Amino acid sequence: MDGKVKEQKRHQAKHSGPKAQKKLKKQGGSTEEDECKRNPKAFAVQSAVRMAKTFHRAQDIKTKKHHIPLVDRTPLEPPPVVIVVVGPPKVGKSTLIRCLIKNFTRQKMGDICGPVTIVSGKKRRLTFMECNNDINTMIDLAKVADLVLMLIDASFGFEMETFEFLNICQVHGFPRIMGVLTHLDSFKNNKTLRKTKKNLKHRFWTEVYQGAKLFYLSGMVYGEYQTQEVKNLGRFISVMKFRPLVWQTSHPYVLVDRMEDLTDPERVRTDPKCDRTVSLYGYLRGTHLKNKGQVHVPGVGDFQVSDVNFLPDPCPLPDAQKKRALNEKERLLYAPMAGVGGVVYDKDAVYIDLPANHVNQQQEEVRPTTELVQSLIDTHATLDAKMAASKVSLFSGSVTLDPTDIEEKEGPHEKQVWDPNTQRERRAVVFTEEEEEEDAVTGSSDEEDDNSEDSEQEKEADEEDDNLSTFLKDARARSERTEKTAPPVKRQRVEEEMLVFADSEDDLEMSEEESEEKGQSGRAGDSGHCSEEDEEETEDEEEEDDDQESDDESTVELDQHFLNTLAKDKSDFIFAISSFHFHVVLTLIRRHVILFPSSGTLKWKEGLQQKASEAFLRHQEAAPNLRKLVYGSEADDSEEDKEELGGLFRVSRPQKSKKFKANAVDCSRFIPDTSHNWDLEEVMLNSIRDCFVTGKWEESQDAATLLKEDEELYGDFEDLETGEVHKGQTGEKDDDNDDEAEESLVKVDDEEVQKNKRLDKKRRLKERFDAEYDDGDATYFDDLKEEMQKQAELNRAEFEDVDDETRVQYEGFRPGMYVRLEISSIPCEFVINFDPHYPVILGGLGSSEGNIGYLQMRLKKHRWYERILKTRDPLILSLGWRRFQTIPLYHIEDHNGRHRLLKYTPQHMHCGASIWGPITPQGTGFLAVQSVAGTKANFRIAATGVVLDLDKSVTVVKKLKLIGYPYKIFKNTCFIKGMFNTVLEVAKFEGASVRTVSGVRGQIKKALSTPPGAYRATFEDRLLMSDIVFLRSWYPVSVPQLYNPVTSLLLPVGQKDNWAGMRTMGQLKHDLGIRNKPNADSLYKSEAKGISTPSTFPKELQKSLPFKSKPKQQQSKGKTPRDLQRPSVIREPHERKVAALLHALSTVHNYKRKKAHMVQHAKHKEFLQQKGKQEEAKLKRQKEARKKLYRVMGQMDRKKLRSSLKGAPQED
Amino acid sequence: MASQGLVYDGCNFFRQRLVLSTLSGKRVKIKNIRSKDDDPGLRDFEASFIRLLDKVTNGSRIEINQTGTVLFYQPGLLYGGSVEHDCNQQRSIGYYLEALLMLAPFMKTSLKATLRGVTNDPVDPTVDLLKSTALPVMKKFGIGGDGFELKVVKRGMAPGGGGEVVFTCPVCRTMRPVQLTDPGKIKRIRGVAYSVRVSPQMANRIVESARGVLNQFLPDIYIHTDHMKGANSGKSPGFGLTLVAETLNGFFLSAEMSSTPQGQGNPVLPEDLGRNCAKLLLEEIHRGGCVDSSNQSLALLLMTLGQQDVSKVLLGPLSPYTIEFLRHIRDFFQIMFKIEVQKPFEDERKGGDKVPQPR
Repeated sequence: MDGKVKEQKRHQAKHSGPKAQKKLKKQGGSTEEDECKRNPKAFAVQSAVRMAKTFHRAQDIKTKKHHIPLVDRTPLEPPPVVIVVVGPPKVGKSTLIRCLIKNFTRQKMGDICGPVTIVSGKKRRLTFMECNNDINTMIDLAKVADLVLMLIDASFGFEMETFEFLNICQVHGFPRIMGVLTHLDSFKNNKTLRKTKKNLKHRFWTEVYQGAKLFYLSGMVYGEYQTQEVKNLGRFISVMKFRPLVWQTSHPYVLVDRMEDLTDPERVRTDPKCDRTVSLYGYLRGTHLKNKGQVHVPGVGDFQVSDVNFLPDPCPLPDAQKKRALNEKERLLYAPMAGVGGVVYDKDAVYIDLPANHVNQQQEEVRPTTELVQSLIDTHATLDAKMAASKVSLFSGSVTLDPTDIEEKEGPHEKQVWDPNTQRERRAVVFTEEEEEEDAVTGSSDEEDDNSEDSEQEKEADEEDDNLSTFLKDARARSERTEKTAPPVKRQRVEEEMLVFADSEDDLEMSEEESEEKGQSGRAGDSGHCSEEDEEETEDEEEEDDDQESDDESTVELDQHFLNTLAKDKSDFIFAISSFHFHVVLTLIRRHVILFPSSGTLKWKEGLQQKASEAFLRHQEAAPNLRKLVYGSEADDSEEDKEELGGLFRVSRPQKSKKFKANAVDCSRFIPDTSHNWDLEEVMLNSIRDCFVTGKWEESQDAATLLKEDEELYGDFEDLETGEVHKGQTGEKDDDNDDEAEESLVKVDDEEVQKNKRLDKKRRLKERFDAEYDDGDATYFDDLKEEMQKQAELNRAEFEDVDDETRVQYEGFRPGMYVRLEISSIPCEFVINFDPHYPVILGGLGSSEGNIGYLQMRLKKHRWYERILKTRDPLILSLGWRRFQTIPLYHIEDHNGRHRLLKYTPQHMHCGASIWGPITPQGTGFLAVQSVAGTKANFRIAATGVVLDLDKSVTVVKKLKLIGYPYKIFKNTCFIKGMFNTVLEVAKFEGASVRTVSGVRGQIKKALSTPPGAYRATFEDRLLMSDIVFLRSWYPVSVPQLYNPVTSLLLPVGQKDNWAGMRTMGQLKHDLGIRNKPNADSLYKSEAKGISTPSTFPKELQKSLPFKSKPKQQQSKGKTPRDLQRPSVIREPHERKVAALLHALSTVHNYKRKKAHMVQHAKHKEFLQQKGKQEEAKLKRQKEARKKLYRVMGQMDRKKLRSSLKGAPQED
Repeated sequence: MASQGLVYDGCNFFRQRLVLSTLSGKRVKIKNIRSKDDDPGLRDFEASFIRLLDKVTNGSRIEINQTGTVLFYQPGLLYGGSVEHDCNQQRSIGYYLEALLMLAPFMKTSLKATLRGVTNDPVDPTVDLLKSTALPVMKKFGIGGDGFELKVVKRGMAPGGGGEVVFTCPVCRTMRPVQLTDPGKIKRIRGVAYSVRVSPQMANRIVESARGVLNQFLPDIYIHTDHMKGANSGKSPGFGLTLVAETLNGFFLSAEMSSTPQGQGNPVLPEDLGRNCAKLLLEEIHRGGCVDSSNQSLALLLMTLGQQDVSKVLLGPLSPYTIEFLRHIRDFFQIMFKIEVQKPFEDERKGGDKVPQPR
């Protein structure tokens, strides 16, 4: 038996497989947890203070990690990252760019001209820009850079350019900076190489930040950097994250990569110096750009953008995201300034402005032959628009009339003119004017009462006849005068279709019309009819007169009908609220009535009712019309009257009604129309009854439904007291009902329904639970973050489904778009002297940043700049986008808040500076250089600082001392002259305090009549005639209004770094060889003997003074009176001898005594020394003895202790 | 400098232009101000308004030609501070205050404006109306906190005036983006019936009649009477009523009516005034929206000047003033609003269409 037992198979613990893993995991988990249980003391609270400290620390660290959450505004498709390659000359910048481009795109580039954009990855594009050594370029590029590759020649070390660039970056917002060491192959010794690397690295870290990335490019192979190293650098670049910089995220900007001169060649030929119109292309960065905004081009100046439009991306990101890497086709390279990517560019139809006739031909070809089909296809415009476009010619060969002429559009209209030179459409402003009959209409329409329209129309009918006759006469005369100058209608039409985003307003209407067309298929027949007419008219105008008439009249009728209905239910749609709109509509009708007195039966009468109702429906869907109403091209109140209208009518006198409108009462109150009769209880009151809490609620918010929902959730409960069980209204009952209903119709799966219901209920319960329990943890920070997140989502969602053309009008051009900006009147030098090596940047300006004013800034001379700066010496500042020369005044704030003018900046301190310059938001940094011309050996950046204030009242003052002389002295009163010139001046300073050089204080009392400018003043003490009186005053200094933009880009090629502005006084003197003539008063000269009058002190004061400060009474005694004079003693010769001998003897005695004393003194000194030594020895002895004693005592003590310790167990 | 100003014709929407010019920093030139009028040029109240602008700004340049028909305005910096202004009595303080409400949050230092003149007249929004509607609108945008209030110290009816209003507003760095799309239902109606230099019974009569109309909808109506006496009652007699309807979501719709100024037009019976005012309120409710018609432009301005985020506001029918304001915003800020029309549901009876306006 035993043996059997022994033979039993032993348990074999698993060492591998899922079981073993499970066990291991279990053990691991348990041990960790057990530690706490096993050793509770170790985890117990030892010290409350310490606990609090650790807690605080943990919280501090946690909170430090928080940043203020910002709404995420990064565009979905961001613009290419701007990588600026900086470094002193001959350091390998171009080579590096070439290598990187080759690395990413497998293409070789020759000269790096202008920005080079490449697709580097699935989600990233890069724009490389080389920065030359010119400080202008460095400043400009530092403002737009996302990443800076800072090349450093390791064989040489750091050069000033590097530090200058770093300093520029610090001022304008710090982009990411990566250092690249080149020329490392010049080191033969490995140790020195290592040392140099380390030194450079640490110096670089102190400038950028600890641990900033520094790349080493060791050696060149066939004139290129090593492939592996470049690849590594490329990887770093393509995964780098960027920080948003304040200035960049708040301003739109474009780094221009293409420039086209659009100026009329003929104009250039005749006047080579004429201002040019250029279009500049580039990716939009920063924030949204509004059309027609203001931009600054650093190095050129401020410009108004005349037009912006976006183009298809010339260097798009790949579409498909599945793949891991880009294929060769997707590795795009775009550098138009370097002449690369041009072919793609042409193919890509960036030349969107195709000539109109070309497009037209294409369209003709595909056009269906049947007119009906054609008309159906061509329904591009609503009736409204068509009416506006339709034209009537009254007589063959006469000028066509279109309703825009007839309508009173009292403003300049824009006319699309094809400009063959620029190959694009231009918007010319055409001024029209009102017609003579108009005042009657406008007068009537100005009356708010819309119901009176009908009667008006009847009235107008009476006027028709004479109106018509004058009208016809006029037209005839005109037709004779003018040859047939029909506008090229067809071309215009085509252009309208093709150039979708030629202009914002037109565009808006276009899109509306198109959308309307899509939506309203039912209306197609009607509008198709109109368009057909339109079409034919363009082909042959004379033929289809009848048809046109009919059509126009139909529209008239239609609108009349519309108006009538409108008058009834006007309140039901917003359209009706505007009296402006009515104005237009009304006059429209009138014109047509005049033109075509009703006659005969025509085919247009068919289906009139239907048309009218359609029109009504259309207007009821007033959404696009509302947009048009607000932003449409109408309602320009601000135009001058012009004499002619459409080549037909002449204005006889100015319209009073219009003026009235322009000068109406400015009141925000919305006077309600009287159409609502609130006395009609049932109708009106019911219409708003649901606006109140007492009214009917929506399904989702109704109290009953909510209650029901609650019941479903919490219905089941058991009343514990009574033991009653309440059953909630679960799905069963409903299901029964449902089933009954549905069984008759379809067989529905019961289970599924129930399951869904259960799931639904569960979900709702969970939501409720989540809402209750998750709220507890949410901190303020989390809430804020969530809010921002929501806002970001909302921002994205709002315009997501809108097409770009419309979207651009609302939110402006998005960053990431490839835009084309047209700027007119740019100086011709910009085009003539264009050098692609210099960056052209378009910096968008904020609303008030286009203005110039006074700025107060805080400024500090740079530590490394060798000289201090002088007030009123011109200085070149880089502030915002701009670089400009200005004249600063330096000042410092006194303790009482006064800004005192300084002649020079302090050496190591901040001081204030006031300038006249472009208004820039507060808190913007700036830097100053004294000259941008050439390269100097020393550090170029003179000062840095920040804008503090934009106050326009200047408060800098300088001290002014006015000097006067007393000419009459009474007791404490003086008459003083020479300080002022007139009585008036004195009057201004009455009561001012004055002082003498000796410190006697006084006050100006009143002016004296003669001599002019003299005044009476009182002092605290009597003055002397020799005193000088001065008045210390503060004189406000005005800031010189010099604002001189640095126009470095306009200089000829090769001289762009030679911009020289206003010279400083020192330079001027140096250049002109002028030596300063010093003021004679300021020269040092020997002191002139003056009369010194002793000051007298009161006796009492003298008494109270300590002896040291008492005036010494050592004045010469003067002559003693005769009676006090003593007679002088004259000795006899013998006496004299005796005295001499005595004197000699005493001298000898004195000498002996002195000698003896010295000997005695020396002896005593020796004695004292000896005594000291003895004393010291004695002390030493005593100390040793004491030491011995203590040692013995200590030993004894220890013995005693030991024995006592030993003794204790013995005792036990 | 390349920044050209904007040029306008005529004195209509005078305030809008100057206010927007001040806020945007764009200079503006207004020509032909009543040039064909018998009495050409700027009126006194407009001159007074310009003076007020000059007081709250620093460094504005204003040039007016000899006849007063051309005005050139180069705005300065909005400075704020303590300002006292005697408003011209041709227009009520509301005329000036509306502009000041738009400017106040964007000042450099917090504003404390004391305005004297006519507090209530039938033309402009009265001070009471602005207090009860404009301030809540601004609060929705995050303006407010300590010292954001409008106090009617003395009441002065047209034409004599003699009222005094103190408006204080702190500086607001950033506007909050808002989504005011659901007005909610009206839960209560409040109001002020004021009377000065007439029998205090007038106010009670107004309240009586107004309640008569409004009680059909809501029981929660409280109109309190405000009878000012002595020095606080201004120089002219008059009475009026301001009604405010508050919705569940904290929006305010308002209507008001004042008696005709003494010596101008027919006198009004207080009962009629109360009833008409109540009807005006119903009209306003019929129009609906989250912001009532007199503050539409204020809300739109605050949306414009906020951050780049999308804001939405549901408005009733746009008033002509607002429409012009939208155009001006486009001129000055190059900002267009996306305007959609919200259709009422079939079974709902909530008045006219509403216009939400995201930007």
